[in-house]
Amino acid sequence: MLLALLSILIFPGFLFLFILALAAEYIDRKLYARMQTRVGPPWFQPFADFIKLLSKELIIPELADRVIFRTLPLVACAAAATAFLFIPVYNAESIFSFKGNIVAVIYILTIPTLTYFLGGWYSRSLYSLIGSMRVLTQLFSYEVPLLMAVLAPGVLASSWTFSTVINFYQANGFLFLVNIISFVVAIIAVQGKLEKVPFDIPEAETEIVAGTFTEYTGPLYAYFRLAMNIQTISVSALLAAVFMPFGYNLGFVLGVIVFLLKILFIIVILAVIRTIFARIRMDQMVMLCWKYLTPLALFQIFLNIILKAVITQ
Amino acid sequence: MIKAVQKLITWSRLKSPWIIHFNTGACNACDIEIVAALTPTYDLERFGVQLKGTPRHADVLLCSGPVTRQIKDRLVRIYEQLPEPKFVVAVGTCACSGGVFEGCYNMLSGIDEAIPVNAYIPGCPASPDAIIDGITKLLKSFEESEAKKLTKAGG
Ligand code: SF4
Repeated sequence: MLLALLSILIFPGFLFLFILALAAEYIDRKLYARMQTRVGPPWFQPFADFIKLLSKELIIPELADRVIFRTLPLVACAAAATAFLFIPVYNAESIFSFKGNIVAVIYILTIPTLTYFLGGWYSRSLYSLIGSMRVLTQLFSYEVPLLMAVLAPGVLASSWTFSTVINFYQANGFLFLVNIISFVVAIIAVQGKLEKVPFDIPEAETEIVAGTFTEYTGPLYAYFRLAMNIQTISVSALLAAVFMPFGYNLGFVLGVIVFLLKILFIIVILAVIRTIFARIRMDQMVMLCWKYLTPLALFQIFLNIILKAVITQ
Repeated sequence: MIKAVQKLITWSRLKSPWIIHFNTGACNACDIEIVAALTPTYDLERFGVQLKGTPRHADVLLCSGPVTRQIKDRLVRIYEQLPEPKFVVAVGTCACSGGVFEGCYNMLSGIDEAIPVNAYIPGCPASPDAIIDGITKLLKSFEESEAKKLTKAGG
């Protein structure tokens, strides 16, 4: 009981996740700045932003639904953090593990995006309304390739449970490298999920002010930002577990270090993509996802089915 | 304990001033200088400054230009949309006192005729260095006033 509480609250639960989330934002912004030949923010910047936003005045628009408006940011945070609890950190078993938990994690990770949509919808502001419609359109375009890409490695391991997939690939050496296509697809789709350039269409501040979050002030906005950062960590951990299934039997200390390195690797890739691209239009985004990413993900699944037949013979 | 929290909050406010930029009828030169101050050359993110699209997220309202009668209501509305604590900075001679537009029939003379202003940055146009200097001075004065408040509350 105490151990379960500790693992929820401290490691690898909320505290660990909170620090990781702020660190992720810092690394992302710092890399972004360095690639623009700037100095970039100091290391405490995300923390200072968080505290400042918490201490600011809270304004709720007159027309907004007060209860829903207030609860959505917390729901987003909770959902993003819950997803992390199901993902393995330093050994193949996550703290709460059950059969088919890869699918469950993907669905829990959809909840924050839905709260962004609802948050914009219930703000009753024109800009946030447009933003929330864009969130939803974007959700329908990246979710399918992401789902297929993340499930593809499981096809080869004939299971959608983290521990089975990880153990399967760990027993098979470099076999996980065949999933490289779906890894690329997943990275691009995740960029859309995290609403970062080139897929920051829902927040496009040059077009629609601040998109879904236009009306959110102070503490509520702080929670939304935190949810976004936690989501970055959760998604990176998910990709790390599925596409880089090695280093899960090294014990506690080494295991955590390897895990952090993997997350760092993914965050660096995401930051590089953010730097070198400019925002694309909504229709281009939908086309990219349905015309190129989905067939690629399908191809990976077929490849894995054939490979599986070859291996089992 | 409460004092420590107060200190932490003041520190965080000093370290992350998010700005929003509003043209209240400037000739556009001051706006270009504000945008120039945000480019990688000056790298304001070093001080935690970020440009925000919506007044709801911002702490500092950067206004340029004497207030035209048309835009006065909107300026007041945007000012009211900023959550507390908020600061207003008047950028450019026009925003400070009317400048070359002084006495025009369709203009007020300066931002402070419409909303309270915390810092004035003169110059026609105000250079990016002057804008950065002005904002750091604003933050310093805020820090001092907060420190004074804390000592008053303590003793
Ligand atoms: S101060 Fe000078 S440069 Fe700035 S808006 Fe006024 S006239 Fe233009």
